[in-house]
Parts: sequence; C-alpha cells; structure tokens
Amino acid sequence: MNDVMKTLRRSPRRLLERSGHPGPGPGSLALVLARAGTGKTAFLTGIGLDALLSGQRVLHVSVEANVDRVRDWYDDLLSELIRAEGSAVNGAEIQAKIEKERHIHSFLGGSFSAEKLDETARTLAERLDFRPQVIVIDRLDRRHNSHDEVEALRDLAERLGAELWVSARVYREMPDAKEGHLPPPSEQIEDLVDLAFKLESEGDRVRLHVLKDHGEILDKNLDVLLDPTTLLLVPEADIASR
Amino acid sequence: MKESIEQIRNIGISAHIDSGKTTLTERILFYTDRIHAIHDVKGKDGVGATMDHMELERERGITITSAATHVTWKTHQVNIIDTPGHVDFTIEVERALRVLDGAVLVLCSVAGVQSQSITVDRQMRRYRVPRIAFVNKCDRSGANPEKVAQQLRDKLGHNPVLLQLPIGLEAKFEGVVDLIEMKALRFEGDSGENVVQSEIPAEMREAAERRRAELIDTASMYSDELMEAALEDRATPTLIREALRRGTLSLDITPVLIGSAYKNKAVQPLLDAVCAYLPSPQDVPIEAVGLDDDEPISLAADPALPSVAYAFKLDDGRYGQLTFVRVYQGELNKGDTVIQSRTGRKIKIGRLVQMHADKMEDIEAARCGDIVGLFGVDCRTGDTFIGENAPRLAMTSMHVPDPVISLSVKPADNAAFTKMSKALQRFSKEDPTFRVHVDDESAETIISGMGELHLEVYVERMRREYGAEVETGAPQVAYREAITCRAEFDYVHKKQTGGSGQYARVVGYIEPAGEEEFEFVNEVKGGAIPTEFIGACERGFRSSLAKGSLIGFPVVGIRVLIHDGNSHAVDSSDMAFAAASRAAFREAYRRAGPQILEPVMKVSVEGPSEFQGAIYRSIMQRRGTVLGSTEDGGFARIDADVPLSEMFGYATDLRSATQGKAEFTMEFAKYAPVPRDVSETLHAEHKGAAAVEEG
Repeated sequence: MNDVMKTLRRSPRRLLERSGHPGPGPGSLALVLARAGTGKTAFLTGIGLDALLSGQRVLHVSVEANVDRVRDWYDDLLSELIRAEGSAVNGAEIQAKIEKERHIHSFLGGSFSAEKLDETARTLAERLDFRPQVIVIDRLDRRHNSHDEVEALRDLAERLGAELWVSARVYREMPDAKEGHLPPPSEQIEDLVDLAFKLESEGDRVRLHVLKDHGEILDKNLDVLLDPTTLLLVPEADIASR
Repeated sequence: MKESIEQIRNIGISAHIDSGKTTLTERILFYTDRIHAIHDVKGKDGVGATMDHMELERERGITITSAATHVTWKTHQVNIIDTPGHVDFTIEVERALRVLDGAVLVLCSVAGVQSQSITVDRQMRRYRVPRIAFVNKCDRSGANPEKVAQQLRDKLGHNPVLLQLPIGLEAKFEGVVDLIEMKALRFEGDSGENVVQSEIPAEMREAAERRRAELIDTASMYSDELMEAALEDRATPTLIREALRRGTLSLDITPVLIGSAYKNKAVQPLLDAVCAYLPSPQDVPIEAVGLDDDEPISLAADPALPSVAYAFKLDDGRYGQLTFVRVYQGELNKGDTVIQSRTGRKIKIGRLVQMHADKMEDIEAARCGDIVGLFGVDCRTGDTFIGENAPRLAMTSMHVPDPVISLSVKPADNAAFTKMSKALQRFSKEDPTFRVHVDDESAETIISGMGELHLEVYVERMRREYGAEVETGAPQVAYREAITCRAEFDYVHKKQTGGSGQYARVVGYIEPAGEEEFEFVNEVKGGAIPTEFIGACERGFRSSLAKGSLIGFPVVGIRVLIHDGNSHAVDSSDMAFAAASRAAFREAYRRAGPQILEPVMKVSVEGPSEFQGAIYRSIMQRRGTVLGSTEDGGFARIDADVPLSEMFGYATDLRSATQGKAEFTMEFAKYAPVPRDVSETLHAEHKGAAAVEEG
C-alpha cells in the first residue's frame, strides 16, 4: 500500500495540503465545478480513492451511474496508480481492503435528495455499522442545487463528522460569475461552501483553479495540470518537457 | 418476407400465471388467421383459464409455446417469442431475452401487478426491452384497469399512459374508447372479429376529452412537433402515435391498453399497438463482441452487410434438431455457407423454415430482423453464425465460467436412467455452464453448474420434460486449495524390497503462480536428473494437484521448479521419479502455507425500498461484503459478494424476510480465501470423512 501512497502524492488532495489549502475537513463542504465532460467524476473518484488509501471510510454517491460502473472507475484508477508506480504491489489485496471501507450508493431515476441520503446514511450505520469519514456526491443537478437542499447535505456531513465533496455542472448558457462570487447556479449556495474548485480543459490537460478557500472567494490558478484520464497531477518534469 | 425491416416486430408476451397469456396468444393467432377457430380455455368446472400450454397444444395441435411463432398483422410481420417460464440467472434466460425487441406485459385487471410481473419486468428493464401493457380480464368482477395502471407506476416505476377507456366494466364490459382516434370500439361477430367503430357514448365524452388531453400532455414530452400542434389544438392521431412511439422506445413511457381476451374484446387494438409502438429491428442498437480483442462491435439491421445470426434455442423435433436463430445483420439463404464462430467450423444451410402456429413453412431466405429455424445444424444455444466475409465476432461473450457447485443425481430405476441420460445430454448442449460427469470413486452421476437454483431448474426439467424421476444428493461447493508462499523440497525416494529397487531424488521448490493453474519449470543442469525422467517428474507433480491435502479439493495457481536431483543407473525409473515428485510435493505443500479458497458470488438483491434493512441483514448473516446499493423508483437493490456455501436456502429465507417481494440473482465473482474458522471446520470435516472411509 505504501508504494501506491507515494504515487498519491500526485493526487490533488495532497497538493492542496502541500500548497496551504488543506481539504475541507470534517463537517465541511468542498464543491467541484466543471462543464460536462471535463472530468468531475474522475476527480471525485480520485478524492475517494485517496481517502480510502489513507485509511478513511468513503461513501460514494452517484446520481447517474450504477454501482458497477462506479466500481470500475475505482478499479481503473487504482490499476493506473499501480502501473504508474511500476511496483509489485498486490492490486487484488488492496482492492479487497478498500472494498470493505467503501460503500457506493446510486440514486437512479431522479431519486436523489438530501432527505434520501440521510435515510441511506442511517441505514448504513444501523445495518452495516458503516459510518463514512468522507462523502463524495457525484453530482448535484439543478434541482438539488437549492440552498435548502445543500444546507441539509451540509448538516448531514456535520452530524456525521464527515468531509463532503460535491460536484456540480457549469452550464455554457449561464452568465459568468459576478466578481467576488461563485459562478451561477452555485452562487446561491456559496455561503455553504468551504472550498470550491473549478476544472477547465486546457489542450490535452485539465487545469485546476481554486475559487473559494476556507471562506475567502478568490480565483487562483493553482498552476497545476491534471492528466485528463486519471485526473492525477501531471508530474512537473512532464510539464517542463512540453 | 416482402415487407420491409421496419415492419418486423419481434416480441415476447410475458405474464403472471393466470393473467390469460394462453388465451391472449390463442386470440392473436386467430385474428392473424393462423388458426381458424377459437376454443375456450376452460377447466372442467367452466371457470377461468386453467389449462396449461402443454395440454392445450396437445389438444389443438398448435405450437403456441414454440420458441417463435410467426404471424402477419395488417402490413406487419410479428414473431412471438416464447419468454422463459422460469426466472433465474441462467445463460438460457439471457439468450431468450436477448432476441426480443419489445414485449407485451399482460396484467390481470383484478389482481394487478403481481410478484412474477415485477421480476419479469425488472429483467426486461435490465435488457432495455420496451414494453406495452395489456390489462386483461376487464369482464371479471372487481376489474379496475385504472388501479392496475397506477400499480405500473408504483410497483414497477413505469410511466403508464392509458390509450383507452373501458366502455362498461365487469359483466357489462362492451368495448373501449380509443383516446387517440376518439372513437368507441366494439367487437362483434361470433369471435369478436368485426371491429365496429362508433361515436363515443355521450356520458363518456367529457372523461374521454380530459384523458386525451392528459395523454397528449405526456406524449408531447417526446415530440416538439406534437407540443406545438397541441398548443394550437391541432394534434393529429399520427403525431400522437409518433410521440408515443418515441417515448416507448426510450423506455420512458408504457402505453396501456385494456380488454378481455377471453370475451374476444380489444385484442385487435393491442396488435395495432404492438406495430405502432414497439421497435422494429432497426430501432434497437445491436452489439457484438470481437473475438480477437473482446471489444464491442456495433452491428446494423442492414441486409447488405455480412451476415450475423444467433442461435437462441434448440428444439428436438420430428426431423431432428431444429435451431432457432435470429438474423441480426445481412441475410441467410438456403445453400449459404456460414461460419460457427465458436469453433470456426463452416456450416452449410440446408433447410430454412419459418414456424407458424400450426405448420412449418420452408423458406428460401431470411433477412436481418427475421427469426427462423435451421435444420441439420449441429450447434449449441448461444452460438453465433457469421458470413464468410464478416469480422470474427460473437453475439455474446465466449467466456464460459467453470461450475462452482455440484450435485449427485441418481435415477429411480432403469427407465429413468435412459430418460435422465437423454435429458442431461440435451441440457449440456443447451447450456455451456451446465456440466455432467461420472465420479471415479463413487460412480455417481454428478451435475455441476453456476448455483443451487441453476441445478434445481434442470432437475425439475428432467422430471417435467423427460419424465425422469431422480434423487439428488446435497449440493457441494467446489472449493479449491492454493499455497501462499514458496517452499523448498529435496526428496529421496528409495525402496529395496527384493528384486530391482526404486531410486529417485528431486530438488527444487513450489511457489504461488497467480493466475496460472499449474506451471512446471525444469532447471536441472548437467543431467542430475536424466532428461527421460523429467516428464515423469512433471506428471508426478501434476497428479498431486487433483486433491490437495487440506480438504481434498484441487490445488490451483502453483509453479513447480526443479533444479537438481539424483538417479541410479539400475534402480531409477519413470515410476520412481513420479513417486518422488508426489512425495516431494506432499511434503513441500504443508510448508507452503496452503489455504482453502471458496467460490464467492456476486449477489444482487432487489426489492421494495422498505425491505432494505431486511435485505442487508440477510446478507450480513451470510458472511457477505456489501459493495453498494441503488435506489430507483421505490425499489432498492443491494450488491454484495457472498460465499456460495452461505447461499444455500437463501431464496426461501429472503422470501420470508421480505414477504416474497424481493428477488435475487447471483453469478460467480471470484475465488477467495475462507476465514480461519471456516477453514478449520472444513479441515475437521475432511479429516472426519477420511477417517470414516479408512475405518
């Protein structure tokens, strides 16, 4: 597991730690914004996998993909990490370990709501003794982007003492962000957000911006590029050679 | 065969027992001129449809349960495909569902959506089969089609759209109001064959207007043109039907029709709806798998492309094996040569037939979309036939998993033995995951398959279809043994008991080999073991794998390397080296950290959300690892890995924990080490059994 952890230094979550922008922390909310197809899912899977490999329990919530597909994403990313490291770690063993610490829940057919997630979290705690330390929600659609809904999600995270990572789509037809605010439609929930990021395609890479950092609205280019398939940081050597 | 591909419909009719599937199918055959008289399907007491298909077929000489029956309705060709009677996880069910493009879900207007409808419907959703619903038996006391439509929404998560209103109900059921054409339809003549159109009864006018507006409202979600037309109050029946078709094909809506097949009412509008709303072969994406790279390949229902056909059912008939195939791409002509993609064998198509209710018709050619029978083709179900110019592909994955469970079967008498042999031969041909062998030690016939239910189904079929009475033993899980670390060996086999002696020495190690079943590496230098004895060493090691010393199950994933040894000019022999290898293995195996592996199944349990807690409990009680859960329209699904040995009797337990409302499927996932306590128990049992045998 240690070898894989080394590669994870390339995970965006570690980078945040190193660059003085630590993750949201228990009971707080991080929002990841991007246009369709930019890699929100891969980014959040990376966050989930990072947490799992750090020994945390993860509840991964998907509103579109079924359980099998989400599992595939984790498995693919893990094998990518192992391949990148070129080490002889036992993938099957790590996989078996993380499966015990991860629960994937799909809300299909528009069945997602903060209330439903609350119910699910209760059931998991009661029946499986599963209490997540990190909750990943991929993704909030327009209907659930309301202040009340997001506030309820935040309350849930606080009650569970879990770190909450949520993605949302940025729509082409939406106006640009007003100065000092998150881009619509997330502007209405910005008081609930502790950390906000934006992913943007740049050539064959994805660039990561910090939009909000522990209360402060900013638009800081973190000057890091992510590999578009794994959403791992592109090693500095690779960037230099470009 | 003259009609275009858009006018072909390949449909299944699925129904809960007693919803009137037989009667409905028979009426369809009658109205499409395939049979010439209707007989009531009545039991001796004169109430209800109590005859089963088989009896009915025997009596009438019709083949409504044939794998596929071809009928013509107006300008359309309709193939009615028999939907499997049993609902489980076998490859066979998957294959039958695979060839349907659409389905009619028959529901009883009194009993509504029942458990079997829920199961079948869920399977169809999994295979993305568009459906229309027929609420049958509207003449029965307590008939309530509105309630049934609501249940479609609540219990099955459909978006039902009523296309008709009943004119009268129960004993007064006369006909239906067609909400698209805004006409009343009544069915006159001895067998309801004359569809008589008239104005909507005045007292129903207002309700019909309201329901039509609702219908247009729903349908316009799928057509901008209809939405605009509706705003200007000029929605035409054609526009409405087009929009409904689009919504049905995308599985977003379910058109609901009503009637009473038994009273010969409103079956013809159902046939119209099959043609109007269910997909043609061109509306459905077709995917195959490339044999060279396992990558998906898209096919198209285009007769000009290379031929691809798929065998989904075998029937034993008077003229030998009849193979039902669906042509997915290109054409099949009598006299053509095709390639069976599993074996690469060339096959000439001798006789091509189309099945009708009461006869079989020889035909010259079949096109994509058609379902036809082939005679004289030796194949299994699931085989793909491709044209000589087609890329190497198969309609389903060629990977066949090894069986994970077995059962001994013992015929009751000699007659049963013959019947059983015949049945087993047929089943193993139909289903590659079903295997048969005779155990060397006990001389018992052992059947193996993918799960308890899988084998139960075949035992039941042996009884029912072949009349073979058999007794079955307790199900046995196919455990395996494997080592976890390297262990060295240096073994001398020496025997001097008068006459010529035996001498052999082997030196090397055994180690885990991951995915490989068995690997033998010879690194002996300088003839320490003469080359002629190396083969005997390999045989010796290999033979040791058949039964591991922990619990007597096969040892897998092992690499044996020999690098040294000794021989004797006179006393060494193949036998001596084989014996030395076996003993060396036995000794090293103990030190190589052997463990027991058990088959773990991927189990999916589905049921109404309120039973989620009960389902979780049932999984946790069985050493399961929950992998994920899903919520969808009032249903919850839980995915878990559960050891197969814990799954015996699960069907019964789940039923009682969820009032029969949850169902599960399972398939083999992987082999995984058993926990220490289980290992100890298995080991003790094995030792006990061995002691009894010796004693």
